[in-house]
Amino acid sequence: MKFIESIGEVPIKFFSNLGKFILFILFFFKYLFKPKFYFKKNLTYFVNIFISSIPIISLTGIFSGMVLALQSYTGFSRFSAESAIPNIVVLTLTRELGPVLTGLMISARVGSSIAAEIATMRVTEQIDALKTLNTNYYNYLVTPRVLSLTLALPVFVTLVDFIGVMGGYLVSIHRLGFNDNLYLLNTIEFLNLADYLSGIYKAISFGFIISIVSCYCGLFSDKGAFGVGSATTNAVVISSILILSSNYFLTELFF
Amino acid sequence: MKIEIKNLCKKFDNNIVLKDISLTIEKNKSTIILGQSGCGKSVLIKTLYQLFNFDSGTILYDGRNYVDIDKFSMLFQYGALFDSLKISENIAFTDFINNKSNFDRKVLSLMSDVGLDKSTYGKYPSEISGGMKKRVGLARALYKNPKVIFLDEPTTGLDPINSDKINELILKVISKRKITAVSITHDIKSAIKTGDHYYFIHNGVIQDKGDCKKILKTKNKIFKKFITGARY
Repeated sequence: MKFIESIGEVPIKFFSNLGKFILFILFFFKYLFKPKFYFKKNLTYFVNIFISSIPIISLTGIFSGMVLALQSYTGFSRFSAESAIPNIVVLTLTRELGPVLTGLMISARVGSSIAAEIATMRVTEQIDALKTLNTNYYNYLVTPRVLSLTLALPVFVTLVDFIGVMGGYLVSIHRLGFNDNLYLLNTIEFLNLADYLSGIYKAISFGFIISIVSCYCGLFSDKGAFGVGSATTNAVVISSILILSSNYFLTELFF
Repeated sequence: MKIEIKNLCKKFDNNIVLKDISLTIEKNKSTIILGQSGCGKSVLIKTLYQLFNFDSGTILYDGRNYVDIDKFSMLFQYGALFDSLKISENIAFTDFINNKSNFDRKVLSLMSDVGLDKSTYGKYPSEISGGMKKRVGLARALYKNPKVIFLDEPTTGLDPINSDKINELILKVISKRKITAVSITHDIKSAIKTGDHYYFIHNGVIQDKGDCKKILKTKNKIFKKFITGARY
């Protein structure tokens, strides 16, 4: 009997959490347009996220671009189509790798820290303290983080796109012997605004996914050190899966 | 403010935490809720604070069933101070987050009331001791001039000397500001020292009640056992 109960428990728990998560998103939008918008806190949070993530984002961009140029060469040289490398590098980065890799890196770097911070606040009764001080935690904790990350991710993706293209350029010029002017010309001519914007729309979606999932995992974490640990893990795992799966649907949309 | 609770029941999923609780918290008096860990004390005061909903029963605040929670304050068991904010910002939290800057004088006066040195003003919670955190928590609770203050195990985690100091501080603050106090504790000594009336909860049910000065004369067997256990 207990075995059958445990089988039923899994979908019940899943749908219960899904319902809670949907309600959480609805409440976020409800309080987004309600007064008590802590502008200073939003700005501070945006600056903090931005400064702390620049190094990791830059490294992601440069190495992705460099590897992409090398791997493309391996394939295209077999068909004597090496001239397509600048086009492939810039298109792959702006449309696909830029937003996805940035999303995954930011989910590990910022999402985990959001979940851990909020879960610790829950464990140490700071969330209850906020309520007793008549402060809405959606306004104080959730909105600044979601807005900051949703606005920061397009900036990060633009940076990754640019640095990645430069990485591909460096490898192509110094390692593969491309003509530097021709490489840049091919890159600029081949890139459309629509390609760049499709990556930016993805970045906005991923920023929202990472921040809302991380806030949810933190706020509804279990108690104790284990709760903080599992909130952090869940935030990264769930947002990574949602980034990868939503990426397919967004790609279909901009295909 | 007088708070009357009648037949209050509260459960989480299938776990009944409070069963048919009825008690009265008298205006400007100190009421102590005693009981073992996990007996429902914290749930009770969080329900009174309107942080939790309840399943059945009534709670009347000066005869009405709703109150603005700005009239309440709470001192949490471990302070619940905001790690990222300085002590002064923690104390004047509501003014600080609303970008009001002229709270210095009020904060310093409260710090002096709760026996905090001026040097802690610009420090962070991680830089001060457990006893000092309790004082900061008390100063934060008093900042908004509450009519009722809820104290969640105010002496937990403190050595006997600091426990005595915190108890004296609570007594001083309650009498000076004429506010209603509701404390939860399992420390009998603190209950006798700081309380007027007590209620003893066991397994979500009120087992005993009376005058704090007569706690040790109780005839309730379960409470007696609790006191004996609490003494060692």
